[in-house]
Amino acid sequence: MEVFGLVLTYNHLLLTIPSIALAGFVMLGLDPFRLRDFEVRALALIGGVGPLIPMLVFANACFHGQCTGMVPIFTLKVGESTVALALQMDPLAALVGLTVCVIGAAVILFSVAYMQGTALPDLRRFFALMHLFLAGMLTMVLAGDSIVLFLGWELMGLCSYLLIAYNTTSAEAIRAGRKAFIMTRVADAFLLAALLLLFLEANSVRLDHLIPAGVAAQDGMRPIIAALLLGGAIGKSAQVPMHTWLPSAMAGPTPVSALLHSATMVAAGAVLLMRFSPIIQAEPVVMAIGAGLGALTAIFGAAAALFQQDIKRLLAYSSISQIGYMMLAIGVGAPEAAAAHFVVHAIFKSLLFLSAGHITHHSPRGTDIMAMRGASQRNPLAFLAFSAGAASLAGLPVITGGWWSKEAMLGAVWGVEPALWTVAVLAAVLTAAYATRAVLIAAMPDPGSHDGHADHDDSHDTGYTLVPLAFLGFGALLAGGLVEPIMHLLGAHVPHAPLFTILVASIAPLVGVAIAFALAYVPALANGLQRARDIARRTRRRPRRQDKPAGFWVRIALAFSRGLRIDTLYQIVFVWPFVKLVRWLNGYGRGVADPAGNLPAMAALRLQRAITAPFAPDWIDRTWTAFGGRILALWAALRRLQTGRARDHGLYMAAGTAGLLLLAWGLTWH
Amino acid sequence: MALIALILLPFLGGIFALIAGKAEPTAARIVAVVFLFCGVLALAWTYQHAEAGRWMMMTREPWAPAMGMSIILAIDGLSFIMVALSLALGLLTVVLSWNATDRAPLLHATLCWTVAASNGVFLAFDLVLLAFFWELMLVPSFLLIAIWGHGDREAAAIKFLIYNAIAGLGLLAAVFWIGASGPTVSFDAFEVAERGLPPTAQIWLLLGFALAFMVKLPVPPFHAWLPDAHTQAPTVGSILLAGLLLKTGAYGLFRFPTLLFPQGMEVLAPYGLILGAFGTIYGALVACGQTDAKRLVAYTSVAHMSVVLMGICGGVHFSLMGAGIIMVAHAFSASALFLLIGAVYDRVHTRDLRELGGLQRSAPRFAAAFALFFSATLAMPGTANFLGEALVITGMFQVNWLYASITLVSLVVSVVYGTRLFQRIVFGTPRKAQVTVDLSFRELGPVVVLAIGTLLFGVLPQFLMTGLDPAVNSAVEALRAATP
Repeated sequence: MEVFGLVLTYNHLLLTIPSIALAGFVMLGLDPFRLRDFEVRALALIGGVGPLIPMLVFANACFHGQCTGMVPIFTLKVGESTVALALQMDPLAALVGLTVCVIGAAVILFSVAYMQGTALPDLRRFFALMHLFLAGMLTMVLAGDSIVLFLGWELMGLCSYLLIAYNTTSAEAIRAGRKAFIMTRVADAFLLAALLLLFLEANSVRLDHLIPAGVAAQDGMRPIIAALLLGGAIGKSAQVPMHTWLPSAMAGPTPVSALLHSATMVAAGAVLLMRFSPIIQAEPVVMAIGAGLGALTAIFGAAAALFQQDIKRLLAYSSISQIGYMMLAIGVGAPEAAAAHFVVHAIFKSLLFLSAGHITHHSPRGTDIMAMRGASQRNPLAFLAFSAGAASLAGLPVITGGWWSKEAMLGAVWGVEPALWTVAVLAAVLTAAYATRAVLIAAMPDPGSHDGHADHDDSHDTGYTLVPLAFLGFGALLAGGLVEPIMHLLGAHVPHAPLFTILVASIAPLVGVAIAFALAYVPALANGLQRARDIARRTRRRPRRQDKPAGFWVRIALAFSRGLRIDTLYQIVFVWPFVKLVRWLNGYGRGVADPAGNLPAMAALRLQRAITAPFAPDWIDRTWTAFGGRILALWAALRRLQTGRARDHGLYMAAGTAGLLLLAWGLTWH
Repeated sequence: MALIALILLPFLGGIFALIAGKAEPTAARIVAVVFLFCGVLALAWTYQHAEAGRWMMMTREPWAPAMGMSIILAIDGLSFIMVALSLALGLLTVVLSWNATDRAPLLHATLCWTVAASNGVFLAFDLVLLAFFWELMLVPSFLLIAIWGHGDREAAAIKFLIYNAIAGLGLLAAVFWIGASGPTVSFDAFEVAERGLPPTAQIWLLLGFALAFMVKLPVPPFHAWLPDAHTQAPTVGSILLAGLLLKTGAYGLFRFPTLLFPQGMEVLAPYGLILGAFGTIYGALVACGQTDAKRLVAYTSVAHMSVVLMGICGGVHFSLMGAGIIMVAHAFSASALFLLIGAVYDRVHTRDLRELGGLQRSAPRFAAAFALFFSATLAMPGTANFLGEALVITGMFQVNWLYASITLVSLVVSVVYGTRLFQRIVFGTPRKAQVTVDLSFRELGPVVVLAIGTLLFGVLPQFLMTGLDPAVNSAVEALRAATP
């Protein structure tokens, strides 16, 4: 079949995968049919679940060795270069795309119930943007060329802004959305630079031309490109040092966080590096930087998560830390293990967000971690689901998916750099500790429920919410079975690490669990945490130092609960100078607004005045005026002679005659 | 003859609109639309009868042979795109001011004359004719600001006139020098290009030309007229300023330096790059601090047109192509933003970002349109703006990495001012002024047209690229030939 000069084949059905979500966005966004509440939900489900169907078909074929590969869509000519836009379906795209579709479907299914009671226009906006978000990620994953890839990448950035700021009356949400947009835009600029440089190297935008060209790049181009790619991934994936936007992004609705953290935007950075791993792997220095930052992020994120007072912030730092693991794996040359962890993490992280959101929905405490209390009685199934997710996150040995993928990554790290392995194992201890802490709090009885008002009956378990939770819960536990096939699919084997490293890495989560119990039940530690919590709450509005923290432990807890105040640091180093500069350029204070435009204009004006000022009296005019005045004066004087009396005239005549005679006498004088 | 019709039809349209308006005020707009539409038909005719080769069509008529002046009009892809843009924006502004009450016939006539004069600039290749249309263009714009403007409109109009008229002197002086420099007095641009000018003279002449074009563009430090003119101009005036007048400056820089002064361009282009790079960041930074929505968009125009200057001075295929695409894309996105802000102003009589807000709740269509064009302003992929920026950056990587990184930084800053504009109007709750009436259909029509243009050329830019290709190629070749 031929449409607009494009010969359509079966493989072009790949287009339907992002297009279904995109169609959902268009339908809900423009709303040509004035949909009612029920219809909006139905359409939301179609747009959210729909992409899964073609994705399953294509991914299934791909898993059986029949990937469609590159599917060119259309071709542009820019001068001598041709720009061929294409989609592609290779094992990585199939794997990641399928994960995105499954998680997206689960999250949207959950949201249909979660967003109940929202006003219709807001509901439409929410699902329209969720669809666009999903479409963006699918576009990026399936992209066969750099332009389509960047399109999906940027769409996610825009959607994250609009979704985090979904509650448009909350100044905090708007600020968080803007922060996320600006910070990830820095990453976008890195990626754009990398892609354009690759385009110049390859003279093509197709990824199967770009990547070999990037690997073969000469003249010091390859390290630059690799570093730019890494920079793009770090920003988008909220890795240290560009992680601060993600904890703030918690101001968005919970389903948004579930999608943002698990399978889309935040994970997109890791996916990007997997996609371009040949270029990265050709540059050992960039690899080392990536691995180092990944390990740093993993341990920092885990430590910060342990001390968070807000369940969503805890999960945000958890995402930062877990993606750090993926970066570490990519940095040591095991992108396949990272891909496996991507899948497992997507499952358990979306599960954690959704179950936590379900438990704390309508809670008077908001998303404070203490709102989780009483979950085991109030929402037993959601509590079970949360526990399953937490267990997977903690990586409890053998029975959870998280253990298998983490094992694969740690094995790869051990083979390259034992020091990083040690850091990663320490991070694993902390991970288990914070995961367990959250579960322990959720298992506590809710002190408020005795008052009778805290029994928020809106959040009883319903079918809509429980189906995705149950599905993801089993997935989080059983996904371990996927790790080996995934790595096999991507052409790698689970590395054979020494037995003792496996043992150590398996004991680490158990140590973490013990630490969490100690934090909860050893009075000195628990009181310290409580004290840090009180101080943090008191000083949240006015961050001035009001009272000195009591001891070292409290100080540590406080520092990590504030994320080491890196946000404040950036405020001082980047934001304030920028604001100062902008203010200065706009003439706040006593300066001139828009100096580059107005100072020359003012100078020109002054010059013009200086030049014209001497002429302002207009000397020529004055001269003539003065001359005229003399004439007039003379005339007035002469007029006085005209007395009209005969004797005066006689006198004038006599004087004139005498004068003439004198003149004649004088002229003839010799 | 079709080329003459492209200038004459809008011009006559203005006159007849005025005459018809004397009898029946509402007839003026119909006359204006009909004549502008006839202009579109004439443009379609030139497309149908386009000749193969560098120029699609060329007209030479004697004018004042003794003084070496003749009417030389020529059209290629670049001119075609620009003329199409000007006719489209002309029609759009007439539709937008359909129910204007204040001296409506004169308003519609002025809109037509703006189109006529800028069409003249886009087509003229006799240098005196070019200078003539260049100066002529100021008159209707001056009237638009001075008669239908807001606030301190007289001062803004006079500032606009002084800046542009003085800069126009540079063009005029250079044109007369060129005319007198040959063996016979001739202002034929092609003949001058063929003959070649002495290299040292080229530098001075180019400075004269560039002064006129860069003030119109505008690039800092010559831009101070633009924020005032935009702020005080009526909505249709702002649209024509951003969509058309700025583009004549860009067109002039695109076309004439490489045609007439390739060696001068070779010498001066690096300075143009510096100026452009400075303007890109500077405009963006100043935009970040604006409180008046229109002023903010005006400064973003400064930033974007500085990117165009960089693209042109880059002198490689990618950057020139990118500059051409930004010219079109910016015409759409900036016009749309001015339209939307104008519509907000019509409703609540303020453009102060500190007072606006909450559009998303009260006027969702408004909000959606803002979202689209705000993302176009910050060069979201899928919009034509992105394509242009990406091509310019690609070209800059070939020229000098410093400039590429500066453009990339400006992309980051664009999010700062873009979100400022967007969220102050669309998000939150209004501090003072609540927009309660959503976009009317008469406003929605132009918005949809501009939206389709932005997205269509973002996704399927082949038409634009094919059109721009000959002009880009000859510019690149001229520069290559001029390189010692």
